[in-house]
Amino acid sequence: MPPMSLMLANQLPLYLPIVILIVMAIIFGAVNILGSHLLGPKRYGEEKMSTYESGMNPIGTARRRFNVRFYILAMTFLVFDVEIIFLYPWAVDFAQLEPGSPEAGLFLGRILFFLLMSVIAYVYAWKKGVFRWD
Amino acid sequence: MIDRLWFLMPELIVLGGAVLCAILGVSRKVGVRNLLPVFAGWTLIIAGVVAWLFVYVPSTELAAVATEVPLPWLGRWVVIMSAVVGLMLVFVQAGLVDRVYEAAVAAGRVAFDPLRTTRGEYWVFFLLSVGGLMLTSGASDLVWLFLALELTSLPTYVMVAIGRVDRRSQEAGMKYFFLGALASAVFLYGFAMLYGATGTMSLVDIRTVLAEQVAETGSMNPLATIGLMVAVLGIAFKLAAAPLHLYAADVYEGAAAPVTAFLGFVPKAAGVIALMLLLSVTGWQEDGQLPQVLVILLWVMAVLTMTLGNIGALLQTRIKRMLAYSSIAHSGYLLIGILAGPGAGYTAVLIYLVAYGLSNTATFSVLAGLRRSGQEVEFLDDLAGLRERHPIMAWGMAISAGSLLGFPPLLGFWAKLLLFMAGIASGQLVLVIIAGVNSAISAWYYLKIMAIPLVGTPKSDAASIERVDVPGARFALVLISGALLVMPVALSDMIADAEAALREPDKMQTVDEDSGHAGGSAIKQEQPSLQS
Amino acid sequence: MTMVATAMAGGSLAQYLIISGVLMSIGLAGFLTRRNLIVMFLCTELMFQGVVIAMVAFSRWHWEVSGQVFVIFILTVAAAEAALALALVVLLYRRRDTLDAEAWTELRE
Repeated sequence: MPPMSLMLANQLPLYLPIVILIVMAIIFGAVNILGSHLLGPKRYGEEKMSTYESGMNPIGTARRRFNVRFYILAMTFLVFDVEIIFLYPWAVDFAQLEPGSPEAGLFLGRILFFLLMSVIAYVYAWKKGVFRWD
Repeated sequence: MIDRLWFLMPELIVLGGAVLCAILGVSRKVGVRNLLPVFAGWTLIIAGVVAWLFVYVPSTELAAVATEVPLPWLGRWVVIMSAVVGLMLVFVQAGLVDRVYEAAVAAGRVAFDPLRTTRGEYWVFFLLSVGGLMLTSGASDLVWLFLALELTSLPTYVMVAIGRVDRRSQEAGMKYFFLGALASAVFLYGFAMLYGATGTMSLVDIRTVLAEQVAETGSMNPLATIGLMVAVLGIAFKLAAAPLHLYAADVYEGAAAPVTAFLGFVPKAAGVIALMLLLSVTGWQEDGQLPQVLVILLWVMAVLTMTLGNIGALLQTRIKRMLAYSSIAHSGYLLIGILAGPGAGYTAVLIYLVAYGLSNTATFSVLAGLRRSGQEVEFLDDLAGLRERHPIMAWGMAISAGSLLGFPPLLGFWAKLLLFMAGIASGQLVLVIIAGVNSAISAWYYLKIMAIPLVGTPKSDAASIERVDVPGARFALVLISGALLVMPVALSDMIADAEAALREPDKMQTVDEDSGHAGGSAIKQEQPSLQS
Repeated sequence: MTMVATAMAGGSLAQYLIISGVLMSIGLAGFLTRRNLIVMFLCTELMFQGVVIAMVAFSRWHWEVSGQVFVIFILTVAAAEAALALALVVLLYRRRDTLDAEAWTELRE
């Protein structure tokens, strides 16, 4: 096993595109904000300064009770969100298998079973009325 | 590959049943929702029968696959045991889940709201938790062990909270959940150390690596020893063993009686099985030597658990709290069997789990089957003179409490005897003497539980105690009481089965040789081709 | 380049384990001393993350991947526990209008 520092040194150039992406994102954001700040016309009024300029008028404080359906929907989201964690390593491994081989079929079958479970979870949540807002 | 999955067949059936319950639980038809316990019961029956007749049948292919698992045939015992006790628990809870709401819907007082009903969810969680217990027995690596333990306990937190509409049950659910999360973090940390010491997750490989390290350095890797100790302490929570036993009394009292019956058996059995598998990595199947610190830890845990449990139970007047403390004490007895080790000790543990699971379910089925103006009966004195109005309940309570105490002809007596004999055989004489003293202490309150319903003078308001209108709990009580009386007849068969369930993978093959299923040499030739 | 790499890879196994142990201890201490239910839950999450760091560090040290696989499963179970905790906390808050664990003391000796 080579020392950790050496291996990192070998891998570091691989991260160059990410660094470029980060730099570009920062430049893009900065140019937009600065540009609109410098070039845009500025007129202030009561309507303009309200919290949601073109939206609803805010009522009451932010510390009010939310409908419980928000929580339930958030938990449903969590199920599908976490599922992605398992799909990633699976996809990496699957790409290395020989196409059409029995192992690949078994591999595919397993992940389909896994997805079937979340489809059932979805059907259950649907029947339970999680997506209804009346 | 396929063969490894074949071992999971009972668990897959349970999963299928859970899925079915989830979908049917939100059905608008009352009839379908009332059928849910029937589905759950049949699921367990099918899973048990499949495990019994098809899955754990010795064959050369399976013997080869089984070398990846520390105790490959343990699943047979555990799956069938979970199916049988689980079925009894289904009877105890049938019709009692979410009862007030379902009654209101049936009477047309409330419109059915799928978001409000919890009957379907309850059975889903019930099945998933039992499935987790079954999965624990097949664990081949630390990941599997962790997932199985979490699958066993996560549903129970919800079951406690939704078991009845009562502030106390929600408080109990909260306490149980937070301490459970803490305990999982603790045993996970132990797993991490074990992994750090050996560099593998597989239990069989950990055992090999540790044995190599012992051969090199003469003693066990300290990191692995500490990891095992931390993991054992974390798993003590599932067992309700000291020092993590304090939650048990509160949670058992707060939960509805049928849920308490469930809590008393399923997480505890999963914890015991997990301990057996986890300690197998020290390789004491071969040399019978557990590291000294682990022996001391388990010894102290066992003594503390049974003493604190029994003394706690003595001081209670509330029947559920009393039974909760008594179940803590039983964890202490089970730890004697764990300490006695592979062979006689583990055999006794397996039989004790069955005896304890059945008796515990029966005592709680009495509490689940009685009501006073819609509420559960809380105090032991309320049961005084129960025989006059509900003789079945009183006798069932006497038999099951007698079995928990270890009253001679009953199954509990033989199980305890085996446990103590195994303890003495392994040289833990002092521990067994302490356990004997503890049994004597426990006789005081168990005899009260037995005698008060039978011969006590009824209190003035005893007439207000009524049987619930669903017969499930009484049915389970009669079945179990009968079983506790009859099963000792088949004790030698049970011991043989338990010993068979504890066979090591390689010993399995010699058994095949004896019974003439296949020649031993043929297996050895086939093995490499199957593994490659 | 090498200097940056050395600085980045400078952590030895012991350093990662110390961080993991510190996270565990903070989590445990917080769990035992704090009374707000959500903070208590966050503390157990902190303990889980301590385990995760130890697992990844050991996995890297042994050059063996199963520790990282374990981490994925730990994260999943932690997410499931988070969903459960949220549901329970909402349930309790509706009953009592407080998240103070001391307010729930009906079950006692």
